[in-house]
Amino acid sequence: MLFLAPNFLGVLAFTVFPVLFSIMLAFTNWDLRLHNMFKDEPLKFVGLDNFTRLFTEADFTRYLGNTLFMMMGIPFSVGGSLLAAMLLSSDTRGGGGRTWAWLLASGGLVVSVALLAATGLATTGMTILFVGVACGILAMGMLGGVTVYRTLFYTPHFTAGVATFLLWKKLYNPESGPINAALQPVLDTLAGFVNKQPPTAVSGLRWVFLTGVAALLLWAVSKLCRMWNEGELSGRAMVLPMVLLTLPTVVAMYWTQTRGMPGYVLAGVMGSVGVWVLLRVFVGSRAFLPPTGGEGLGTGLMIALCAMTVQFILLGFSAVFANLPAMAADGLEAPKWIASYDWAKPSLMLMGLWGAIGSNNMLLYLAALTNVPGELYEAADIDGARRFQRFWHVTWPQLAPTTFFILVMSTIGGLQGGFEMAKTMTNGGPAGATTTLSYFIFIEGFETGRLSFAAAVSWALFILVFSITMFNWRFGNKYVND
Amino acid sequence: MSTTEPNHLAIPTRPVRTAKNTVSVRRFFSTWVLHTVLVALSFALVLPFVWLLLTSVKTLEEVGVGSWLPGKGGWRWDNYIEVFRQIPFARYYVNSIFIACWVTFLQVFTSSLAAFAFSRLDWPGRDKVFVLYLSTMMLPGLVMMIPNYQIMISLGWVDRFTGLIVPAAFTAFGTFLLRQFMLSIPKALDEAAEIDGASKWRVYWDVILPMTRPGLITLAIFTFMGNYHSFFWPLVMLKSEFRYTLPIGLLYFDSTAGQETNLLMAAVAMSVIPMVIVFILLQKYLVKGIQLGAVKG
Repeated sequence: MLFLAPNFLGVLAFTVFPVLFSIMLAFTNWDLRLHNMFKDEPLKFVGLDNFTRLFTEADFTRYLGNTLFMMMGIPFSVGGSLLAAMLLSSDTRGGGGRTWAWLLASGGLVVSVALLAATGLATTGMTILFVGVACGILAMGMLGGVTVYRTLFYTPHFTAGVATFLLWKKLYNPESGPINAALQPVLDTLAGFVNKQPPTAVSGLRWVFLTGVAALLLWAVSKLCRMWNEGELSGRAMVLPMVLLTLPTVVAMYWTQTRGMPGYVLAGVMGSVGVWVLLRVFVGSRAFLPPTGGEGLGTGLMIALCAMTVQFILLGFSAVFANLPAMAADGLEAPKWIASYDWAKPSLMLMGLWGAIGSNNMLLYLAALTNVPGELYEAADIDGARRFQRFWHVTWPQLAPTTFFILVMSTIGGLQGGFEMAKTMTNGGPAGATTTLSYFIFIEGFETGRLSFAAAVSWALFILVFSITMFNWRFGNKYVND
Repeated sequence: MSTTEPNHLAIPTRPVRTAKNTVSVRRFFSTWVLHTVLVALSFALVLPFVWLLLTSVKTLEEVGVGSWLPGKGGWRWDNYIEVFRQIPFARYYVNSIFIACWVTFLQVFTSSLAAFAFSRLDWPGRDKVFVLYLSTMMLPGLVMMIPNYQIMISLGWVDRFTGLIVPAAFTAFGTFLLRQFMLSIPKALDEAAEIDGASKWRVYWDVILPMTRPGLITLAIFTFMGNYHSFFWPLVMLKSEFRYTLPIGLLYFDSTAGQETNLLMAAVAMSVIPMVIVFILLQKYLVKGIQLGAVKG
């Protein structure tokens, strides 16, 4: 049809044809180092060589690991988006204090601007500046309500791109960036304080956090076991959350930052959890069934994901406290952020969080929150539900389809992401710490010139994306219906 | 479509059952807490932009020392002019907008045609072709990059605007989005037009297109913004400096040739601010489009 023709031809020429081309490419040995104007070796069909090379050369698995590591920021950003959406969907215009708040805010704004003009440009200027910005936001929020905050939240995401990456590169600069300029005095004070305390008291604090990890693990496991026993969770739906739950402990054993932690403690925790699971499952009321179906997988996964996130945070704190006395002895130094091997990935994740809180996800959550029927909240109120119960029993289940969609999309996006950050901020470094698969494809395809290998990498990436999509598609409906 | 935007995103406030006094006191406090949290969060998110703007008016010596505010060097607004003096920034601007406009036009026009064919016309194999379209949406763009570059080489489009415009202009996504919009238009409308003797083209042009306007605008914003931001493709395609787009041009101040953070920040601000304005003006469409695309997708 004539109507279809222009778009269809375009899609055919620049999407379908390249895809087919790319499949062919992945099975040949097209390499610009072999086929160029000086040297023209015959183009050969090499079968699966490129794909086996993915696993024999260390690079691919390493960069896949980088990509997956950076994807651990996703739960945080989704949580942040949800929080932002819930804040925005509360009624900000109501309340008796509106006029007063408005007056106060605009007063603060005027005063701080006036003072700024008067005192000029010293450190006090900074304080006034910050107060002024905060008051300005408040005043605009009072005037415009939700729309203003929504715009402010959304701006980082909307402008995210090379421009804001360059901005963050400067923010992270260890010598001249404002982050370290603000952080260093804080760290100096902290170091002074820690040095005055007995070292065992500080490092002993890690046990508090480790106990927290163990308690959380036990809580989540027993929750899962109870669901299993009550038949809400199928065997198969039990396995994946369990794996996720134990992941932090396993990671902690190998993580450089936690080396100081005695391995036997972690092993002990793991062992006791294992015994606990066996007890719960076998002594429980429900006979052991062969794993079937995926009922309850969604809920199980959510519990596991939340618990996993908190576990990681607690582990991080315990690691910090374990090493604090030793580190503070010669003064704490602010991290070198993107210039340091250990901090580069977390830095990029932090920046991603900045851009992701007010992203499309927030808008999706906002829309979903509007669609939650008001009667459900009324019913919950009549039942005397508290704030958290209202959230857990009404809002969260109603948001399940949205959360599911967001997680799927973020996972797919996360697997393909990281190119722009790597290119503009770190060049994939230091020492390949921030090279994700997409940047790897760029390097191989456009810098090294190993076209076929790059095509193979991109197809491996596609297989990952595809299998995740399929997995989600199969379990998605069950999750949404939970 | 109403022009004012009511507070439609708020949860309907629940009826409160306690005594009136307690209610107003409690509401007063909860409003305060809410505003405090909102301000704190906005503040944290906006802070980098504050630093950006302040650094852009500093002298180079003052970048990275102590205060965020410009010191003895004064407020150097001429940094913004200096950007244009050092690099052909205006040229990059024009390039970016020129390319993005063309891509947007082609995208919206051809996508709406194709969406019309998918949603309104009956032809053999329609559903199969549509499945093909949908399946291309799942492919990572990276898969296409290398072959597309080879195609560009053989067409001689490397380092030319056509090479940036044409491959980006035809996507399955646009067709899909507009089809969703068009399916929500009642069929009775175009049937009535056909009874009056309108040709298919007239139905498309006079009935469907005006009704799909919000969809067209949404797609236009998406495409324009996506293209304005695009980095990978211009980076590999553009060789000569006067054809650079903004994202590529910005790298100049961060290269070994220049480490002028203040100028970089001025350039960043100038490249970001138009988008912020566009967003503030058109956010109604954007929000709707994102939500529609997700609900149906």
